[in-house]
Amino acid sequence: MSPPDSSVTNSGSASSSSSSCAGKPPDHIDNLLAGAGYRVRSSDLRQVAQRLERLETVMVNAPSDLSSHLANDAVHYNPSDLASWVDSLLSELNPPPPAHADLPDFPDLSYADRTVDNTSAWVGEERRHVAAAQQGGIFPPPLTTTTVVMDEDSGIRLVHMLMTCAELVQRGEFSLAGALIDEMQLLLARVNSGCGIGKVAGYFVDALSRRLFTPQTAGLISSAHENEILYHHFYEACPYLKFAHFTANQAILEAFDGHECVHVIDFNLMHGLQWPALIQALALRPGGPPLLRLTGIGPPSPDGRDSLREVGVRLAELARSVNVRFAFGGVAASRLEDVKPWMLQVGPKEAVAVNSIMQLHRLLGSDPTRGSPINTVLGWIRNLNPKIVTVVEQEANHNQPEFLDRFTEALHYYSTMFDSLETYLSHPNKAFAEMYIQREICNVLCCDGLARVERHEPLAKWRVRLGGAGFRPLHLGSNAFKQASMLLTLFSAEGYCVEENEGCLTLGWHSRPLIAASAWQAVPEPSPPLNLISHRNQNNL
Amino acid sequence: MAGSKEVKLNESKMVVPLNTWVLISNFKLAYTLLRRPDGTFNRHLAEFLDRKVPANVNPVDRVFSFDVIIDRENGLLNRVYRLSDTEGLPTMAELEKPLTSEIVPVIIFFHGGSFAHSSSNSAIYDTLCRRLVGICKAVVVSVNYRRAPENPYPSAYDDGWAALKWVNSRTWLQSQKDSKVHIYLAGDSSGGNIVHNVALRAVELGIEVLGNILLNPMFGGEMRTESEKRLDGKYFVTLQDRDWYWRAFLPEGEDRDHPACNPFGPKGISLDGIKFPKSLVVVAGLDLVQDWQLAYVEGLKRYGQEVKLLYLEQATIGFYLLPNNDNFYTVMAEISDFVNC
Repeated sequence: MSPPDSSVTNSGSASSSSSSCAGKPPDHIDNLLAGAGYRVRSSDLRQVAQRLERLETVMVNAPSDLSSHLANDAVHYNPSDLASWVDSLLSELNPPPPAHADLPDFPDLSYADRTVDNTSAWVGEERRHVAAAQQGGIFPPPLTTTTVVMDEDSGIRLVHMLMTCAELVQRGEFSLAGALIDEMQLLLARVNSGCGIGKVAGYFVDALSRRLFTPQTAGLISSAHENEILYHHFYEACPYLKFAHFTANQAILEAFDGHECVHVIDFNLMHGLQWPALIQALALRPGGPPLLRLTGIGPPSPDGRDSLREVGVRLAELARSVNVRFAFGGVAASRLEDVKPWMLQVGPKEAVAVNSIMQLHRLLGSDPTRGSPINTVLGWIRNLNPKIVTVVEQEANHNQPEFLDRFTEALHYYSTMFDSLETYLSHPNKAFAEMYIQREICNVLCCDGLARVERHEPLAKWRVRLGGAGFRPLHLGSNAFKQASMLLTLFSAEGYCVEENEGCLTLGWHSRPLIAASAWQAVPEPSPPLNLISHRNQNNL
Repeated sequence: MAGSKEVKLNESKMVVPLNTWVLISNFKLAYTLLRRPDGTFNRHLAEFLDRKVPANVNPVDRVFSFDVIIDRENGLLNRVYRLSDTEGLPTMAELEKPLTSEIVPVIIFFHGGSFAHSSSNSAIYDTLCRRLVGICKAVVVSVNYRRAPENPYPSAYDDGWAALKWVNSRTWLQSQKDSKVHIYLAGDSSGGNIVHNVALRAVELGIEVLGNILLNPMFGGEMRTESEKRLDGKYFVTLQDRDWYWRAFLPEGEDRDHPACNPFGPKGISLDGIKFPKSLVVVAGLDLVQDWQLAYVEGLKRYGQEVKLLYLEQATIGFYLLPNNDNFYTVMAEISDFVNC
């Protein structure tokens, strides 16, 4: 008879004896609770249970405003980590010592003592029915889609043809693929390509066509100026960028608490849309605003203008109007990896925030002769010892080596994104916003090598990458979640949803996350092992 | 009120495995934070705390899932779970590929949560639905119905009815044998209650439902029954919280003898002359509302309807959430037989 899966026969500490027999590392996670979305080490189960009991008794015997405080005022972080969530509630409640003799007596003993005569209560069932549903190992990342009911048979046919065509392209059968593209374009003319599956299919047929017939210009290269315009329209037409800015600003504001000299480094300044809100929030800070420096990185302007400086001047005027001491610096670089840390002129006493909105993935295409840009950049970020690094990325797996995989994933992702724009039937920015998205699609599907910059990777991969580069997660809490949700209901259509994902927040459309926001801090000592279970204490900056 | 405040901590620990105890106690604690005494609900915190999983067209253990919006105005979403019969990833066209077997049961599933909690993408229910697909070789459609107190009676029933109509009209869900969709309704807790009420509407308006599966269904009434008094607060659930959820769901001014809560009570609806679908009702012996659930079974029998009662003595609420007890396997086998006979 094999030993039990969890360490129920001893008192719950280093369960090396039972678990090494089972061939698992001592801190292995309870599989069944993992299936329910909670990460609890088997060896911690007893302790978590005891604390739940303690919490329950305190709350039952406590005045009702204690419960209300926990619900309304306390900020909750990372509910998946049950052990730390329960601990945080306990420390919020700060229970008084028992005042009455008839309060239930809490054994500080482990359950082992209590159940040794009743082992079947804890052990038998688990031993007999080890879950087969979720073995160890990593699943392929979920590939999710929300479909609109497809009543059009031609819509379905189009999708079928698209997938076939992509496969032909991957196999190098270009003439067959080309013929299929012609057919699809005929079909597109008959389908309602103004909305729904027809519209998305249209963009994808277009991308395939560019890849096959005009590979030189397939990437839809445009000037920095054009990019900025499309970006602005995308910003206005849907909430993704607003969510990114808002969530990052919340986290930066918290990180800057108590600091008098703060320095924000923005990896992609554009029109500086993110910063007025932060400047105003800092102006209203109890105790007064700090001295704020903003360093904005952006592409050089071709025509002799200094567009970075122009943005800086506007932001400086705003800061002056709300009495925030402000200094701006611009760093012109066509690629993020060309930036050298000395250009940022970070001062020794400053609290630094590094802000990357959809920029890190651009570093993932590597020229073998030039080393790994992502590691280089992450390295110097870490050396700046920032108080916080805010990272927002598309929640998608568009960096797979095989074309067909990228195509499939992109079809799901962008269908959902286009669907979310459908609600803005006659929004003035909608057409340009769609062009912005179209450029992304073409880059994902038509470009390769260094030209392909839209190398989106999902949150799970970024966690591993950032953890390995010496960063630990700062959890975004229920406060940020609530405010993001409220903003959405005020400004956007039904169907957008904010979700909490192990300390990070995602914004999605009808249960499919499309964009993920996370916050990080440099670990002071050498790189930790790739175990990202972080404790509550790390949130106290 | 000494009975409800005194927490009998020992008893529930003795009858469920440790990880189940942690899971359900965690829910109990979280839910306490969400219910406000004035009858409002902390929805933001609820959504923050709820562990959700996305749909996944990558088959996992041969089951894949995808979400479909069936009513854009309400944002009504269904999550469809199917068995994959191909090796690779289903393409978008294959998501709605017609069923190839002679008979495939389609189970419309209503998750629990006392009408206020959880969603079709809650991890516990996503996992449960996947298990149902694998065990019953069925298609499962999980309905993301609107919840109380923001959307009280009859929103959940309306959404259930919309989902039933949608499922019934999908040609790709028809069984080969007779080109009809073989529909079963299933649900736990409030979901079980929704099953009954959607089935009523189905019978009235002429959509054929082949069977109802009610897992620990949520029923009640004004009277306090023996089981409610005996088990109040003992196994994760209190009368006080049951009352709160009924107040949140039922229309303003109505009491628990409203037929939505008490279908065979003083204001109950007669099933005379009606051919109600056959029912499988699972009752947990440590569930404080079991007297109401047993009364439901008796009510069906009184009207000559076909019903099978599965009474599990040592089961608590939520026993079917983790596959670490005999009752789980018993119930799954019964459900599989029920939809595949």
